[in-house]
Amino acid sequence: MTKTFLSLEWKKFFRSAAFTKGMVIKILMIIGALYFGGIAIVLGVFSFKILQKAVPDVDPLITVNQFLMYWVLGELAFRFFMHQLPVMNIKPLMVLPIKRNKVIQFLLNKTIFSFFNLIALFFFIPFSAVLLYKGYPPFQVLGWLLSLGSIVLCLNFVNFIINKNNTYFYIIVSIAALSIALNKYDVISFTSISESIFYSLYQTPYLVVIPLLLAYFLYKFNFNMVAKQFYLDGIIRKKVKQVETKDLSFIDQLGDIAPFLKNDVRMVWRNKRPKQVLLTGFFFVFYGLFFFTFDMYKDNYFFTAFASIFITGGFLLTFGQYVPSWDSEYYKLMMSQNIPYYQYLKSKWSLMVVGVVIAYILSIPYIYFGLETFAMISAAALFNLGLNSFITLYGGALNRVPVELNTKANAFGNTQGFNATQLLISIPKMLGPYVIFIVPYYFLGFKAGVIALALSGIIGLVFMKYFLKFIEKTYQKGKYKTIAAFAEK
Amino acid sequence: MIQINQISKSYKGVQVLNVEQLSIPKGQSFGLVGNNGAGKTTLFSLLLDLIQPTTGHITNNNIAVHESEEWKPFTSSFIDESFLIGYLTPEEYFYFIGDLRNQSKAEVDALLAEFEDFFHGEILNQKKYLRDLSKGNQKKAGIVAALIGNPEVIILDEPFANLDPTTQIRLKKILKDLSQQKGVSVLVSSHDLLHVTDVCERIVVIDKGEVVKDLATNEATLKELEAYFER
Repeated sequence: MTKTFLSLEWKKFFRSAAFTKGMVIKILMIIGALYFGGIAIVLGVFSFKILQKAVPDVDPLITVNQFLMYWVLGELAFRFFMHQLPVMNIKPLMVLPIKRNKVIQFLLNKTIFSFFNLIALFFFIPFSAVLLYKGYPPFQVLGWLLSLGSIVLCLNFVNFIINKNNTYFYIIVSIAALSIALNKYDVISFTSISESIFYSLYQTPYLVVIPLLLAYFLYKFNFNMVAKQFYLDGIIRKKVKQVETKDLSFIDQLGDIAPFLKNDVRMVWRNKRPKQVLLTGFFFVFYGLFFFTFDMYKDNYFFTAFASIFITGGFLLTFGQYVPSWDSEYYKLMMSQNIPYYQYLKSKWSLMVVGVVIAYILSIPYIYFGLETFAMISAAALFNLGLNSFITLYGGALNRVPVELNTKANAFGNTQGFNATQLLISIPKMLGPYVIFIVPYYFLGFKAGVIALALSGIIGLVFMKYFLKFIEKTYQKGKYKTIAAFAEK
Repeated sequence: MIQINQISKSYKGVQVLNVEQLSIPKGQSFGLVGNNGAGKTTLFSLLLDLIQPTTGHITNNNIAVHESEEWKPFTSSFIDESFLIGYLTPEEYFYFIGDLRNQSKAEVDALLAEFEDFFHGEILNQKKYLRDLSKGNQKKAGIVAALIGNPEVIILDEPFANLDPTTQIRLKKILKDLSQQKGVSVLVSSHDLLHVTDVCERIVVIDKGEVVKDLATNEATLKELEAYFER
């Protein structure tokens, strides 16, 4: 029976729409997997050395243990979005003469081998190998490794229990943020708590039974949860949500784009996928913290320009690249109705502008890193508004990948919208601001660079009509292709 | 109203539709029947310029559909669920279509009031999104949305499928009224010979992409159609 299931999985993978799309995507997917896997392995191998250098007086194993709690929280938060129990797949199996337990077992066992679990092991296994090589006691190291492996499984199964409810996510993120803050200002030392928990798993290898048992119970819990709801109106059913109708009549004042804008606001608000994009945009506001706090990036204008684009442009870039894919589910309606492309595009553009403005307001605290940094962010925001928005919309018009609005993207879901054209289009989006900045900077200094960048955005805004008309033409030219591409799921 | 000239459609060298000449006058109720894969939906998609013809062209009120978009204001359609916006409530959807067709909220409300019977209390004020309605109710919403804005041409693909008997009877009356009293050209396709002979004054049978029968409906039509399909 397991063999039949496995062959079904095999077919599902190789016959999936994303996979049959073409060699380029296949290769990119493989490269992506190898890349992340490779990074994990390389980190696993070299962490010992790096940590020895970074924290010279402490045993690198202890340093690792100090941060494992953050790993647990971070991974939970990450999985929350990316990893879901694929229950929908069992619907066709329900009426076939297969024992219910078998189906559920397979469903759960399958998740054990997911990429999410492997990636952690890709780090821990080489790291442990290095420990053994350095002469740490094998019995203890193996116990520790086994414990961590069990914890990965625990995370796997905990995630399926909690990821139906967003509240858990906010709790996890709050705990993580709070513990980082408390730790940083020496109120409570979470690193030492983490150390005492995880280091004891090393010191007393017998403790491995605790995570092992925990993983077993969580498995059982998941099993019962699925078994109890193994009905069409149970776990498989899509939850019907009560509608939340908000009065959006204030948008009517915006004139002819109002009907589209109202729809777009509702689309973002009521569907999982665009909500994910909204959240990504929000996280990108904090992207600068990563660059501005490290000395090696701080004074490098390449990285400051790069980070500045993302701070205000996170939503713009992630949302814009899927215009018109956001409307793919009802594209035939849009194409046979009385719809002027220009207003349609302008509505999407307006939404992106709102995204940039909100992100810009949120980015005001970056003044803390100096006025220069903030000037760069402001200029980059203008570049986003005036140029990046149109480049992104143009890229979207060539995208033609259907988006399922109410399904969360999975880890490799983003490769769907990824092709050579997208790659080409992303070059001016990422490098453009740097080039526009660096040339005047080189000849005239920092101020000139920032002014040039800001000016480029303003010029783009002046030519808005022209750009939108140009994209409109692209839409018209590709109309039949787009309709056909959106029709296949 | 609608002129179809030498239209054909091929996919990778395989011809799926080939219609020499077909003209549908204004106010006619036109029925299209044929087995699965006969080319009904292909023909309707060509009428709406959703796919590109391999040869030939279609004019709608003397406007070539693939050259100009001027036919859109007086033409409306419901082909399948991809004509619905799943995350809207039916009301929001109707008002959106109303906006596109320059109908005020009050005008849309007035139209919806006429269809209270048809909705059978299952569409309006349900606090549900369109994607959460049953297939039949989705169809009801889609059909009524196609009537918003006084269109002169209405194209409905399989409007009777998935509907309950009561609604089917009501829909037949609505469609008859549209063509007889308001002079609307109504184009429907169906697998149900009885329904289509009830509603349409003219019935065209297509098979493997070609017109094989073109009948003016009378008492003998149903028998003739049944005899044809009983092969």
